[in-house]
Amino acid sequence: MSSKRVTCSGCALLCDDIIVKSDGLYIDEVLGACLKGKERFDQVTAKNRIINPQIKKNGELEKVPFNEALNEAVNIIKNSSRPLLYGFSTVSCEAQLKGIELAKVINGFMDSNSVICQGRVLNKSKETGITLTTITEIINKADLLILWGANAAESIPRLLNKALFSRGKFRMTGREIKTLIVIDPVKTASFGVMGVRDIALQIETGKDIDLIRVLKEECCKADSIQDNGVAGIDKDDLKRLLLHLTGAENGVIFIGQGLLRPQTREDVIKELLELVQLINVKQQKGRISVLMLGGHYNMAGFDHVALSTFGKNHSLQFSNNCLIETSETIVSKIEKEDFDCSIIVGTDPVSHFPSILSKKLMKQPLILIDNKQSATSYVADVIFPSAITGIECGGLAYRIDHVPIELKKIINPPTNVDNDEKILNKIINALRGV
Amino acid sequence: MDMIVNTIRMIAYDQVREYSFGDNNSLKEKLGIGFINPEDFKKLNLKSSLNLRLTNNFGSVVIKPKEDKDVPIGTIIIPVSIWANQITGIENDELVYKNIRVSIEVTSDSVLGLKDILNSINE
Repeated sequence: MSSKRVTCSGCALLCDDIIVKSDGLYIDEVLGACLKGKERFDQVTAKNRIINPQIKKNGELEKVPFNEALNEAVNIIKNSSRPLLYGFSTVSCEAQLKGIELAKVINGFMDSNSVICQGRVLNKSKETGITLTTITEIINKADLLILWGANAAESIPRLLNKALFSRGKFRMTGREIKTLIVIDPVKTASFGVMGVRDIALQIETGKDIDLIRVLKEECCKADSIQDNGVAGIDKDDLKRLLLHLTGAENGVIFIGQGLLRPQTREDVIKELLELVQLINVKQQKGRISVLMLGGHYNMAGFDHVALSTFGKNHSLQFSNNCLIETSETIVSKIEKEDFDCSIIVGTDPVSHFPSILSKKLMKQPLILIDNKQSATSYVADVIFPSAITGIECGGLAYRIDHVPIELKKIINPPTNVDNDEKILNKIINALRGV
Repeated sequence: MDMIVNTIRMIAYDQVREYSFGDNNSLKEKLGIGFINPEDFKKLNLKSSLNLRLTNNFGSVVIKPKEDKDVPIGTIIIPVSIWANQITGIENDELVYKNIRVSIEVTSDSVLGLKDILNSINE
């Protein structure tokens, strides 16, 4: 039995300080992981794990040999003229690259989970610019942490351990000089870590835009805050918030799902990014940056892989084996039913999407590559089991702060179970008749 | 009565864990639920045997209500899951997971299991 220091692929924080005791065949003990990380390692022996290829026969999924599943998948793809590829945020960058190759070969439309999650912030930053930071910089320098619509304690459980309770290289002190501000309509678990100097702002639901606009105005013109406050936050708290924003040496705003909502009337993300720029112009001592809290461990990876390959970070539409311009997204494609089969990799859109989209997705043949049971696995027509990246196979992943981290293989996957990249390669080769 | 629904990720009510380690019952018990303020619970005359039906333009779903004093009055918090997504929708080509207005009624109908939910979507 040997101990190894490994990187956890339980969430996008990719903690690289996890100790695993293993004999090379099984994982005996996992030390230092959070609940999410522990569950990721437990997936290896989960009772509902998918370890056999399956195809739907007479409405029921049946276990079949790999080649039979491959033939069925190839038939579905060959009979399709508008295939859809979606997911790719819980696979390695190598598999993402292979997925793009498949999309190109079959003239498909490809998107990742990022487009409905934190990719929306990146897309908006194309108009405004964005000041990003890294986890290392936060650990070593940050003195102000703002969780805005983000419940970090439950979505990225060890983020606050690292960001808030750490003692940085460039700081004489640690937690005691760091201020945590939580802005959320719900008193989430993240409120539970607050100390006396921290600020809890329980904002009224959906009023973030009002708060951002008041802060922007106050940045330009002092004393523009009304006496009765804004969005359920009183004037004194608003002043304290602004004082921290403009006075921090190194502040970071963690943007959570709570801020991501359709921009029909107002553009919350755009205005927040503008506020950050405004503060940074006004800031004399340091700067404010943002960090996007995406959950899936390689959500940021797809943006990088697609951007570096085709100069576009989402919504890749291929025609005649070339990328073409499109204004469609995964949402509009499914909504318009502009697809005739789907290839889903490492995600569960039937659970994640509103039922009006799931219904349309379920109408067409669905090929799934995943290692976990899910609502999507119940309705799939073909299922390929995959190895768990970061445990049963290695690969590159981009951390929450867009820093590339190499994931290493710890144990072998179950017999006849390939990694995502190999499965996608086998599909490509079968389509090419190799 | 109208309320606002917010879907959020909760570590104790996590769909990946339930799909991997749970069964049909635990899926329903852990994910087919909603948290409301005790004052709303009282206002609706809810009892432990009763459920809530949430309805809006996007769809309808029955959930088991649970009291939580940290939830703002007039709000229902539902863990991200296929149950929550019966009433989420699309606006301007983007998905709506937060601040969803629903009308609610107390019901004795039971919470559907995963397979029944999938069948109802497929109908």
